[in-house]
Amino acid sequence: MTAVDAVVRPQRSSRRRAGRIGIRDGRFALLYLSPALIVFGVFTIGPALFVLYISLFDWNLLNSSLSTFTGLHNYRALGSSADFWHSIVASVYFVGCVVAGSTVFGLGIALLLSSRGLVRRVVRLAVLTPYFTPLVATSIVWVWIFNPQYGLLDSLLRMLHLPMVGWLQSTTWAMPAVIFYTLWHDLGFTVIIFLAGLATVSTDLREAARVDGARYRHEIRDVVLPQLTQTIVFVIVITTIDSLQAFTQIYTMTQGGPLQATTTTGFLLYQESFVFFHTGFGAAIAVVLFAVIALFTLLQLRVSRSRSQ
Amino acid sequence: MTPFAQNHHNSREGTMHWHRRSSIVVGALLAAAACSYAAYGATASSRATINISFMEAMASGTQKPSLDLLTKRFEAQHPNIKVTLIAEPNYGVLQQKEQAAIAAGKPPTIGQAYENWAAGYADAKAIIPLTGYVNSKKMGVTTADRKQIWKGVWQDLFLPDGKIWMWPFNKSDYVMYYNADKLAKAGLQVPKTWVQFATVAKALTKSGNWAWSTDTGTLAAPADGTIVMLAMIHAFGGTWIANGKPTLNTPAAIKALGYLADLKKSGALQIGTNYPGETALGAGRSAFDLSTIAGYPYELAADGGKFSMKVAALPTGRNGEGNAMAGTNIVIFSKASNAERAAAWQYMKFLSEPRQTAYWAEATGYLPVTKTALPIMKRYIATHPYQQIAAHSLDVARGNPPYAWWTVAEGQLATALQAVLDNGGDPAHALAAAQAKAMAAAGG
Repeated sequence: MTAVDAVVRPQRSSRRRAGRIGIRDGRFALLYLSPALIVFGVFTIGPALFVLYISLFDWNLLNSSLSTFTGLHNYRALGSSADFWHSIVASVYFVGCVVAGSTVFGLGIALLLSSRGLVRRVVRLAVLTPYFTPLVATSIVWVWIFNPQYGLLDSLLRMLHLPMVGWLQSTTWAMPAVIFYTLWHDLGFTVIIFLAGLATVSTDLREAARVDGARYRHEIRDVVLPQLTQTIVFVIVITTIDSLQAFTQIYTMTQGGPLQATTTTGFLLYQESFVFFHTGFGAAIAVVLFAVIALFTLLQLRVSRSRSQ
Repeated sequence: MTPFAQNHHNSREGTMHWHRRSSIVVGALLAAAACSYAAYGATASSRATINISFMEAMASGTQKPSLDLLTKRFEAQHPNIKVTLIAEPNYGVLQQKEQAAIAAGKPPTIGQAYENWAAGYADAKAIIPLTGYVNSKKMGVTTADRKQIWKGVWQDLFLPDGKIWMWPFNKSDYVMYYNADKLAKAGLQVPKTWVQFATVAKALTKSGNWAWSTDTGTLAAPADGTIVMLAMIHAFGGTWIANGKPTLNTPAAIKALGYLADLKKSGALQIGTNYPGETALGAGRSAFDLSTIAGYPYELAADGGKFSMKVAALPTGRNGEGNAMAGTNIVIFSKASNAERAAAWQYMKFLSEPRQTAYWAEATGYLPVTKTALPIMKRYIATHPYQQIAAHSLDVARGNPPYAWWTVAEGQLATALQAVLDNGGDPAHALAAAQAKAMAAAGG
């Protein structure tokens, strides 16, 4: 045995041993993870792949043997479908307003509530409460608030001698009404995120700015907001994903109407798949929606990673 | 044309493939038909117990105990047949469960189904035609008994191929609920025609009150307003379909929508959601609600005894009374064995017989499917005269056209109503747009 052998052999054997331990650990990890992987595979990955498969067929929901392979036909049909493009416009309207509203009002309310005090704690609780209420129940309550004959809003308009508005019946007002409800329900979540973000803002810097004579708005603009950038991006991404998936309030309040004014892409997916049973076409919508949401999820992951770094 | 329809029409290969397969299918169908007709002769009288299952949505109020009781009576008369009721909370869930069961290859023996559901099930070969059972000498329905079934109900049992695929069960139709005190106070008569209805409605529209509230529904979920419009189309001499295609923009339809637009413009008609007709009538703000007779208990609960609520038939038009049938039929799923099919047919027939359908009507508020039930219900009708009014309307009432695309067509009609009544659109233009989309869905 040479000197080199004497040095190298133990190194090789320890590497081999380490490799064996690594493989064994990997097997154990896989074993422990397998229940979760099986559940995830069967109930999430499997159905998702099946949706992709269905989207390539003129799918017969009741008798799959009568389904015919149509390749990318459903995707081409999506491209030429006026209803689909109308739903994209409605989605952009809904998502844009909800994201902008959640971010601006969420941040504003969080700034107002960030200092201590009993009243502010009570207000904080009040803002957060709607978020914990069931969407179906509260959206039905809002349907009655928006009712043109007996609703609270139109009663106020009548008291002020203003013309009545059919909030959920008008193509002009139905989407703003649904957006208003969504903001009312979801704002508490963004306020909490912003409050958490504000807790990490350096108080030394804020005090230094104040000592230097900065006004409140300058303190917010030049000291607080730059430190909140990642929180703001996080809120925008999360709210965008949530809004793209919004369904319950649209289903309960407007059923996508009037005249499809509130038919977002998510609602169109339901309508085509489960009302008209155009299953292949609906699956193609689901795949497109999935791709968009996956894009935002990746963005969110990157933001989360950069935050943790 | 929707992508769904295009798939069928653009695929030349698919058509050729279909022709090649059609001869095999025809042969197989002939063989199957021979076996099936042999089955009509077999009754479920063998000693072994035959288990059948019935997927239904009769789970609320008096419906469940009434169906339970009828089923027990049937089992007592047929000791070798055991019926398992699978109750679902509503029609939406029922449809999903039936579809899931069909897709999984494990449907129940029988199930409630609307006409357009049955059309889809038949296309997927998931149900069987009942013509053989109905015509069977041993276990069928006699010609005399057939003639006693309300005309509208009988017509509702067929699919476009001319075969009977459904058997009637829980039927209702539309009636006019009205506040009799309000009409008497204004010195107005109960309107019998749509012309009179408009006059009375406008006369009652003052001081924050109006005549009628309804919900048009949406593309995804048409509601009462759309169904009443369908009834008006028939009353005005129009059609819903012709030669297997939708006819949503006939002159009668344009006239009906124009009529509703005029009522809306005058303030006599208000549009809302969540059963606005019932709410407004109950609150004393309106004088009428046009809704199904099955909703009578809910109308009664809404008025709370504050006024005298009465019921009349829907107003008539140039073509007499038009009405829309609500409620479902029963279908037999094709996975059932011959013995199960025979047992199921006996159960379905039992439920439709005069004594049972009379009991069902008295207990639940649905209508008897045959005229011969009315004498049995004499005492009940004396205290519930509205049942007879609604039952007679079953002669003219029409069910959903039995085409799978009708869901889209009806939704498009709801969209036309929204365009005109909520957003001031032109009736002819709105109906033309609805017709174009409905035709596309129908593959035309």
